Amino acid sequence: MFRAFRFIIDLFTQRHGIVAFVFFLLLGLLMRQAPTTVRQGVVATALGTVFYPAQLVAASLTSFRAVADENEQLKEENARLRQETYHAREGLQELARLHTLVRFDDKWDFPIVTSRVVGHNPGRFLTTLVINRGTYHGVKEDMPVFSMNGLVGKITKAAMTHSRVQLLVDPNLKLSVMERRTRVVGFLESKDGHMLTAMVPTHAGIQVGDTLVTSGLGGIFPKGIPVGTVQNVRKADLDVMRLMDVAPFQEFSILEEVFVMEKEPDWVIRELLDE
Amino acid sequence: MSNLKWLKVLILFVLTYALQVSVAEWLKIFGVGPDFVVIFVVAVAIKRGPAAGCFWGFLAGFAQDVYAPVEWLGASSISMTVLGFVVGQLEERFLTLNLPAKIGVLGFGFFVCDMIYFGITGLSKEIITNLFLTQTLPECAYTMFVGGIAFYLDFGKKKKHA
Repeated sequence: MFRAFRFIIDLFTQRHGIVAFVFFLLLGLLMRQAPTTVRQGVVATALGTVFYPAQLVAASLTSFRAVADENEQLKEENARLRQETYHAREGLQELARLHTLVRFDDKWDFPIVTSRVVGHNPGRFLTTLVINRGTYHGVKEDMPVFSMNGLVGKITKAAMTHSRVQLLVDPNLKLSVMERRTRVVGFLESKDGHMLTAMVPTHAGIQVGDTLVTSGLGGIFPKGIPVGTVQNVRKADLDVMRLMDVAPFQEFSILEEVFVMEKEPDWVIRELLDE
Repeated sequence: MSNLKWLKVLILFVLTYALQVSVAEWLKIFGVGPDFVVIFVVAVAIKRGPAAGCFWGFLAGFAQDVYAPVEWLGASSISMTVLGFVVGQLEERFLTLNLPAKIGVLGFGFFVCDMIYFGITGLSKEIITNLFLTQTLPECAYTMFVGGIAFYLDFGKKKKHA
């Protein structure tokens, strides 16, 4: 076998390779002159026996590399998706907050100024807050202030870049409220700067757990802002009235951000205030 | 050639085709790329003589024919066989080629190979003229450049051994 191979090699290399040249040239010419079916057979045989297996191996190597590249790509995509998921969660939380805000806005149809609580009064009782929005941002005195949970108070002093908020627990603040179930109107105040007390007619049948909202009659606060729930009901000095301790919906000591409703007092109230 | 040398050339042949289907595509500028197969045939013919040039030229050409239209089967085989034989004869009969001569032979071989191929396939004169201007000339120059680098590296290696 080896001798035969060596004989062929020697034959082809004789006469400076002319034999080999003639042989391969004739082979090429034969292919050129062969019928189409023979050519197709040659091509099919060559592809099936040599080129396709070789290509298969090459393709496997290429696909191995492709898998490695894909792996890297997927890792990058995974990292990017994690980031996007994180941002999406943040966005959902923000959206939930904004939905609450929009509901307020839609309900009362007044522009809202979002503000951050930057300070509060140094006294024993928390009755005043300072926010980082002022006249420059559209905030004016007597504008209602609320949070996502409910009513907070009103603006008592508006500077250019900040304002002072009078909380519900300020003894100087009195507002008209309405019980949501019975629609009976009363008024709310804080006598000691700590507890909120409401006074309503006896016939209303207010019970513990009932909800109080602003009545809109005072001219400053619009109707329907949640204020708090009734904690207990007791007799007042007058038999026709009942006193109630009210727990506000909003815990004032933990406030971080509040919303100022750009609602100016009704014209009747403005005239009264002017007088 | 010894068995080991045959094996080396075979590996080089496979690598050449791998380069031709991958790197040559990446190196294309305005659709013009180098022809590593021609460089391989010329290099083998210069190193191993006309018989080896014919053999590897035929194989290289046949590998190209398989993927060409079946009507053109044999065209590349013949042109590459001629290329291998002619270059091998030049090296064997006339002189030991230096680097510029090798590059010149490569360019000449490329040109001859293409002309034979065009002639065998029976394309019209207009098409051949167009192909010659838009493909053969720029690809010939590109192949000479790449082949020159390859020959230079091989030449430098020989010098070091000497």
